[in-house]
Amino acid sequence: MSEEFTTVNGSAWRHVEVGRVILINKGDYAGKLAAIVEIIDHKRVLIDGPVSGVPRQALPLAQATLTPIVIKLPRGARTGTTAKKWAEAGVDEIWAKSAWAQKIKNREIRWGLTDFERFQVLILKKQRRYEVKKTLAKAKRSA
Amino acid sequence: MGRLQEYEVIGRHLPTETDPTPKLYRLHIFAPNVVVAKSRYWYFMKQLRKVKKSTGEIVSLKVISEKRPTKVKNFGIWIRYDSRSGTHNMYKEYRDLSRTAAVESLYQDMAARHRARFRSIHILKVVELEKSDDVRRQYIKQLLTPGLKFPLPHRVIKSKKIFSPSRPSTFY
Amino acid sequence: MSAVTKEIGGANNGGKRVIPANKASKWYPAEDIPTPKKARKTPRPAVLRASLKPGAVLIILAGRFRGKRVVLLKALEDGTLLITGPFKVNGVPLRRVNPAYVIATSTIVPVDSVDVSKFTSAYFAQEKKSKKEGEAEFFGDEEKKQKKVISEVRITDQKAIDTALLAEIKKVPALKAYLGSSFSLSKGDKPHLMKF
Repeated sequence: MSEEFTTVNGSAWRHVEVGRVILINKGDYAGKLAAIVEIIDHKRVLIDGPVSGVPRQALPLAQATLTPIVIKLPRGARTGTTAKKWAEAGVDEIWAKSAWAQKIKNREIRWGLTDFERFQVLILKKQRRYEVKKTLAKAKRSA
Repeated sequence: MGRLQEYEVIGRHLPTETDPTPKLYRLHIFAPNVVVAKSRYWYFMKQLRKVKKSTGEIVSLKVISEKRPTKVKNFGIWIRYDSRSGTHNMYKEYRDLSRTAAVESLYQDMAARHRARFRSIHILKVVELEKSDDVRRQYIKQLLTPGLKFPLPHRVIKSKKIFSPSRPSTFY
Repeated sequence: MSAVTKEIGGANNGGKRVIPANKASKWYPAEDIPTPKKARKTPRPAVLRASLKPGAVLIILAGRFRGKRVVLLKALEDGTLLITGPFKVNGVPLRRVNPAYVIATSTIVPVDSVDVSKFTSAYFAQEKKSKKEGEAEFFGDEEKKQKKVISEVRITDQKAIDTALLAEIKKVPALKAYLGSSFSLSKGDKPHLMKF
């Protein structure tokens, strides 16, 4: 035990910081992304989302979820700069690729299905279940 | 008390034979509406000069709106406050987007810490602290550190369900 | 009160006399006779929801066939909807339903090829039963025991409609199975937020 060294890693928290991209989860702009432009205090931040259509405003952190995306922004960056840096960092592309965004998208698609489409999903799920069970049974038998 | 607004109220004593052109007095008043703003104007004028509502008139009253409502600013606020046992002067600092928002949080803060009511607080001066050296209070200074960042380590995600089979995870 | 001038015979009677045209009755009726109320309003033709287009797949909400998905053939003139399962798919015959007890889905089966001109509300009118008298009516169990016979006309009509409809239904995959399945809400479903 004395020979071994343990490496202590810092916690991998997502930080509230200038340039952090957040997802708004309450209010008129719920579901939209915005970047933190300045920290007002430990509970509120100034956000701006020129690309996603969120006007510059103060937002309580309770109404935001931090995403892993951080862009390089000067403190108190204006809307034009934010838009530029946002596009440079390719936030929208990174976000669209993320599993989180996919999940949200899928949830929305599922919500919008018509009755007939819901039935088709049911059938496809049934087919998938059947295939899985079939191969599982086969694997069990051979094992 | 609703959301406050900043009013600029100008008034004077009614013209008399001895003084046909009385001096104008201007006050900046934080009040929820016009009625309260006028009332507060006469409240302060009575204390400062020998004018009262029945012997004076309000010449102009206008709302002052924030010039840059999307810029974060630090405000220093001087107040005079009547506690239960005496009168105190105070200086407090707030970090907010507008003067009115800072004054609103001042009233909330005073209510929380000292159980002070709107009527027992006089706002003497609200000043924007442009240089960070002018900031005196540690609780504002800590927000001005360059490259400030902090995690949100404990969050309670509210569930819509009444009962849940598992304890909520506060890890974030 | 209008009056009538009448010729009177006899030399001493003055030749003419004015008498009322309608003589008032000498008595009032002992009991009030109810007079039927006059209808001052005429019923307007029923206006259906925009979603109730011919060919729409409907979900029936009440009655024997609740939960069934059926095809709307046309709106009848009495404000009801003419539907069928088709009978071959889910057992719902040609039938009239109240549009209030129906959810219209956005799925549409083309029904232009189906001839529904012969179906009117008169087609579905029930035959009047002849009333039997006295004991025969009271103890008439025998008639009840007999199974209701469905008329030949209805059967042939149903078959004709079913074949025409099935030809259309088979063109869309899974549509036949969809019509054969029934609708129900499960846990967590919010029908007011669902799209149909």
